[in-house]
Amino acid sequence: MESLLELKDVSIDFKSKRKEFNIIKNINLKIGHQMKYGIVGESGSGKSLTSLAIMNLLADNLFVKDGEIVLRTAEEKVLNHLSKKEMRQVRGDDISMIFQEPMTALDPLYTIEYQITEVLKFHRKMSKTEMREKAREMLISVGISRPDKILDDYPHQLSGGMRQRVMIAMALITEPKLLIADEPTTALDVTIQAQILDLMRDLTEEHGTSILMITHDLGVILETCDRVAVMYAGQVVEESTVKEVFDHPKHPYTQGLLKSIKTLGDRSQKLYSIPGNVPTPDEYQELGCRFATRCPFAFDKCFSEEPPEFKVGEDHSSKCWLHDEEVIPNEQSTSRVRS
Amino acid sequence: MYAYIIRRLLMVIPVLFGVSIVIFFTLRVIPGDVAQTILGTSATEGSLAALRSKFQLDLPVYEQYFLWISGVVVGDFGVSMRTGAEILPEILSRFAITFELTLLAAFISWIIAIPLGIIAGVKRNTKTDFSVRIISLLGVSVPNFALATILILVLSLAFNYSPPVGYVGFFEDPLRNLQILFLPAFVLGTGMAGAVMRMTRSSILEILRQDFIRTIRAKGVKERVVIFNHAFKNAMIPILTIIGMQIGVLLGGTVIIEQIFSLPGLGQMVLTGINQRDFTVVQGAILFIAFVFVMINLLVDLLYSYLDPRITYK
Repeated sequence: MESLLELKDVSIDFKSKRKEFNIIKNINLKIGHQMKYGIVGESGSGKSLTSLAIMNLLADNLFVKDGEIVLRTAEEKVLNHLSKKEMRQVRGDDISMIFQEPMTALDPLYTIEYQITEVLKFHRKMSKTEMREKAREMLISVGISRPDKILDDYPHQLSGGMRQRVMIAMALITEPKLLIADEPTTALDVTIQAQILDLMRDLTEEHGTSILMITHDLGVILETCDRVAVMYAGQVVEESTVKEVFDHPKHPYTQGLLKSIKTLGDRSQKLYSIPGNVPTPDEYQELGCRFATRCPFAFDKCFSEEPPEFKVGEDHSSKCWLHDEEVIPNEQSTSRVRS
Repeated sequence: MYAYIIRRLLMVIPVLFGVSIVIFFTLRVIPGDVAQTILGTSATEGSLAALRSKFQLDLPVYEQYFLWISGVVVGDFGVSMRTGAEILPEILSRFAITFELTLLAAFISWIIAIPLGIIAGVKRNTKTDFSVRIISLLGVSVPNFALATILILVLSLAFNYSPPVGYVGFFEDPLRNLQILFLPAFVLGTGMAGAVMRMTRSSILEILRQDFIRTIRAKGVKERVVIFNHAFKNAMIPILTIIGMQIGVLLGGTVIIEQIFSLPGLGQMVLTGINQRDFTVVQGAILFIAFVFVMINLLVDLLYSYLDPRITYK
């Protein structure tokens, strides 16, 4: 079966009057039907931009320069070629999105009922009472016990966890094919985080909705996703099933990320951190690998030529010269990182 | 809510007392006195003294104050020292003119400023935005009296039009009344529009950057609805603040504009009163203006809570 959403060589550029530079470069992703797909990366890796590009909600100075974002529902649509009006029909109906900050993601001046049903107003023909009833059902399904009270409340009257539940209800009320969740639990208390993730998983499974989970938290990926793409500096550096990436990380960046997770009970060891920072887009090197400046295994070729995506196992790709069989330092370096 | 309104109304009392004290004693400090201005320089000491005693100006100042304020408390603002006419009816009839002028000016400023401000905010850094910003800068920086004079000159020289002279009330002759008031209202309105436009633009810009706007767009809501139902409604609070302040100031009478267009408004009343050292008129009028200002502020505060559910008064 063909994938639900496919990103084919998508590049995003920043453009201002004075300069234009590349931010996201040649991203390829395939999200299948009912798949839970994760994108993980540090701040500034371009994961949120990728999700906003899918929704066609990029800021004015950002635009999809190359590539196609293909959505296959009843028909096949190339999202980045749709008109504004056609795109509006996709948003909220085929694809819904929930955001990081539940505190600021709801309009403070409208009731929860208004905000949940607003999406129905634009995508469904329903009467006011039908919409309220539907919103009420949705609130119950996201675990809100007093739906009638909450419907009449304003966002400031709810806690962060409640608001995120409302966001989920709002996103799933149209039964979209794809739910994009941009750091949905980052702003929440740890205890609430797990509840929200469980809720998202249960509801999407129930409705057959695919998830695109954007997060910097590997734990969230491990808990919710089937497949994962690791992003660094606007590129996907490694992609495979979650199990494969966690058990056999191939790219030095992924290896670094996994090493920097704190494991319980092991207090003696200093927490690992990848040296340096994620470069800002104007610091990206034209040639070579974008991770080379921070990579412990970098060698000459890494600075002069961009690595292609190497197939490093069945259904597993990694964008690193270390996998090139002609490259000698491969064996040596891999053994060093494992030690 | 009602408790809040009542409390706010009670708070008006000390404010007005303060104003009354300041205005009363400030007037007494201004050199020159009403007896002299009425009787002229050739008046004898005897006639001056007689007139002063008629207006109780020969009493100690604090006694004068208590006599005046005890009248005001029961609604007796006294009579004009100059004309002997009752002051309160005079204030009210002049306030009606100022009030109509203010409403017209505010209305004109809104229909110019709010749409332009929204457009400028939505299309920021485009040619449209720059033109709007230049217009608003002009509105803010060209003084009212200059614009008024230019308008009168241009209209009469180029179009041979001059507004009718001699004020008539709206209910006597609405058309003529509007003709008389339109020019001064337009001048005041463009002055106000500059500030309102800038505030509208900047608050629309700020709101459009908020996360919830992205959420609403992600729902597939039409851009028109995003702008008007969400961005503009959220931007209303700062806009309302500036509008409230402007209206409060205008209701106090616009001395220069009323003078240029010879409108018998509150501003003119105060100005004449000061020139003639007509203490009772000035005191009464200013106290009334202060009262109106405080009321407008209260009204704006109540409107906040109507617009924004996060603002509640208990």
